[in-house]
Amino acid sequence: MNYSPITENDKEEMLKRIGVRSINDLIMDLKPSINEKLDLSKPMSELELVEHLRNISQKNKIMKYFIGAGAYYHYIPSAVNHLLMRGEFLTGYTPYQAEMNQGTLHTMYEFQSYICLLTGMDIANASLYEGSSALAEAVLLSSSYNGRNCIFIKEGLNPQYLEVLKTYCEGADLKIVNEIDDNTACVIAQNPDFYGNIENLQYVAEQAHKAGALFITCVVEPTSLAILEPPGNYGADIVVGEGQSFGIPVNFGGPYLGFMAVKSFLLKKIPGRICGMTTDSNGNKGFVLTFQAREQHIRRERATSNITTNVALMAIASTIYLALMGRKGLINVAKLSYSRAHLLQNKLKSIGFEALNKKPFYNEFYMKAPSGYLETISSNLLKNGIHGGLDLDEDKILICCTELNTVQDIESYISIVMDTK
Amino acid sequence: MKLIFEYEEEITEQVPDVDDNKEIELGGKAAAEDITIELPQNLMRKKLPLPNVSEITVVRHYTNISRMNFGVDLGFYPLGSCTMKYNPKINEDMASLDGFKNLHPLAHESCFQGSLQLMWELEQDLKKITGMDAFSLQPAAGAQGELLGVMIAKAYFKQKNEKRKKIIIPDSAHGSNAATAAMCKFETITIPSDSRGNMDIYKFKEVLEDDVALVMLTNPNTLGLFEENILEISDLAHIKGTLMYCDGANMNALFGITRPSDQGFDMIHLNLHKSFSTPHGGGGPGAGVVGVKSFLAEYLPLPRILKEHDSKFVLDYTKQKSIGKVRYSYGNCGMVVRAYCYIKSYGTNIRKVSEHAILNANYLLTLLKDDYELPYSRRCTHEFVLSSRKFGEKSALNIAKRLLDYGFHPPTIYFPLIVREALMIEPTETESKETLDRFAAALKNIVNEIKENPDFVKGAPYTKLVGRLDEVAAARKPNLRWTSLSQSNGKENSEKKLYGEKSVRNSSND
Repeated sequence: MNYSPITENDKEEMLKRIGVRSINDLIMDLKPSINEKLDLSKPMSELELVEHLRNISQKNKIMKYFIGAGAYYHYIPSAVNHLLMRGEFLTGYTPYQAEMNQGTLHTMYEFQSYICLLTGMDIANASLYEGSSALAEAVLLSSSYNGRNCIFIKEGLNPQYLEVLKTYCEGADLKIVNEIDDNTACVIAQNPDFYGNIENLQYVAEQAHKAGALFITCVVEPTSLAILEPPGNYGADIVVGEGQSFGIPVNFGGPYLGFMAVKSFLLKKIPGRICGMTTDSNGNKGFVLTFQAREQHIRRERATSNITTNVALMAIASTIYLALMGRKGLINVAKLSYSRAHLLQNKLKSIGFEALNKKPFYNEFYMKAPSGYLETISSNLLKNGIHGGLDLDEDKILICCTELNTVQDIESYISIVMDTK
Repeated sequence: MKLIFEYEEEITEQVPDVDDNKEIELGGKAAAEDITIELPQNLMRKKLPLPNVSEITVVRHYTNISRMNFGVDLGFYPLGSCTMKYNPKINEDMASLDGFKNLHPLAHESCFQGSLQLMWELEQDLKKITGMDAFSLQPAAGAQGELLGVMIAKAYFKQKNEKRKKIIIPDSAHGSNAATAAMCKFETITIPSDSRGNMDIYKFKEVLEDDVALVMLTNPNTLGLFEENILEISDLAHIKGTLMYCDGANMNALFGITRPSDQGFDMIHLNLHKSFSTPHGGGGPGAGVVGVKSFLAEYLPLPRILKEHDSKFVLDYTKQKSIGKVRYSYGNCGMVVRAYCYIKSYGTNIRKVSEHAILNANYLLTLLKDDYELPYSRRCTHEFVLSSRKFGEKSALNIAKRLLDYGFHPPTIYFPLIVREALMIEPTETESKETLDRFAAALKNIVNEIKENPDFVKGAPYTKLVGRLDEVAAARKPNLRWTSLSQSNGKENSEKKLYGEKSVRNSSND
């Protein structure tokens, strides 16, 4: 394939106009030069490409997932992708020229509003890369806000998020500590936590605030917010998380949708793009990127973050998803996810699995399988096209359900487990 | 256009209804499965203030909103430094194949051999294109790639027990370079550019001491000029033990022509959404993959993808000197599939991409250089920067806004910071001669308009749905979200008084 429309004739004319004889005259300065063709594969036509990619994709196996742990397999209404694939959304860039990109800005404003409504916070940005690095950004924000350099993490944070946090902390000379004191920049709690537990975290917020630290709530499965108390109501200063559940495929891990919402006193510290409503020269309403003085292209080394490209298209996807689902649809998703998870947990309990959650849970839970059986069970499930969960150590398994895990799937899950035993 | 929150309550049925009449009252029975939601009241939300709108309304709403946008699919988008090339449609289809789109990142290793093969092969191709020895596909965008690079430098010198606290950056650099250095607590030293647009080599030598960890260069730089002293800079840096980092935002100029590793760079990030055609999506997602020389490979994030001798692919989590992880999972795999398709489409002909990008930029430069000022009198690579300073203060802004009326997206303006009234123009290889001619004609025409009636140009744009927007007011009276004034009394759907100017201030009292 060749996506350049320049013909040989055009090329001749253009070179002549430039005043050179060949393209080589234009690239003489680009050194050291490569003298041979790069050892890449033979160019493919579109037809060959389709064949090639189909073959590769078929080496992947798509299962009935009972696994979450940071990526959730929810139903995505068809209209989401149809709208998202419009070239107007897909092929523009950051709306630096607001008058020409009101579409992206309008949707960003709606996205910010949705995130605020769901989290109970005052201000949201227009997205960050994904949940774990968004959490790291929240930590950097806290440290920059109060000048402190210690981080306290309540147990139950997704282990991959913890890994990412450690990496960022190493870079930024921050320490992860085991107690809250007057060096603590922030206290982090994931809700629901990695094991699915849900809690009212008011008491954690109070502990944090008493020490003068900020309280960060991390939400990795945001459909939970349809039924759970918004973190803004139990004292969160920052809510960050992963928006993938809202209309974004699991995509083998990305692109996803990091979000961040803060209380208004942190407005000038928040990283990333923010869209605001304003008026034009005739008094009509319109949208622009605002508070850009926080950002790297203006403030350089004094910026609140280095983030530039975010995941605008994923924010648009989630906005369209939320609009299509509406209050009613989102609550149904949450209820179905909740009820399927509890159904499966009950059934597994009845066949000898031990429930390990000591607190209420939403759509994820962990259990201990009868000793020595977990590996065989998981592999038998896999053979039958079911991904039974995430195997943890010591016969423990983390299981997740969404509205896509039907009652029939749950019954097959159970019968395969029973056959194994 | 109204907001989605401003429509009347409508019917919406996207998923099976579990509880016919009590959708707002939570805690009732989920009829289908006879399970009660039994959560303590203090865990439960009292209400969810989201609108219910029917599918037809949503489709029309976002279709009409999209029509207020501009993208490469609609016209010329010469936004300098962003490489707004055509995004092949087939690549969207390929990334949406069930096997890619619906693959869970924590699935069992036997489930994702295809994706690992694709990612591994992409790494091999990127190694050939850049000359680097190892790649990580993890970073989500260029700035995260930079962050990874700076973290690697920090870990590398920590391992060697060397205290290096400085990073050298030229004044033409992207702002993200300096911001990244600051995130890792490095001090930045900014080097001015010389009269040919290179980093001033004399100033560079003055500050290059053995406490410098990294030199971060964009090559070709943001002026669209190839760094003429690159080999000398790399040699000098390496003599001091300093690492060379390439901001690969401008890789679109170099495919098959020259390799960053041969220029002496030890690390590079590539923006798959720029050089490798994955769509920009209104501001992302991108992918900022990072390549390094072999002596830095052990510092790359985990997991790494390994190919075993039986052609099986595995994820290697062996912690050597790795800096850890910079994000959940393995990267923006959806974007990785698209970039893979792009490279496979061009294959051995990939040099043509850069040749045409350079041809187009030089052609457009030739057409425009007499009407505007060319601050550095050199041939450009894939982009170039003009100055409109002879037309006065704010002329770049006014010209940009007037270009909207001609149906073009404006160039990047006021960047790089070292050129006054800068217009940074990157046509890319996917534009035709005819388009370039039309664009040049528009810019020439605007020059005439400025001469004849400068106030007219200052009032642009005239043909968009909105006129020039007031950015100052947006920051002074922030209105950053919709709020329903009636939320507090539970009638969020009946009353629709919106856009409280005081929305932010009000809610701060919560």
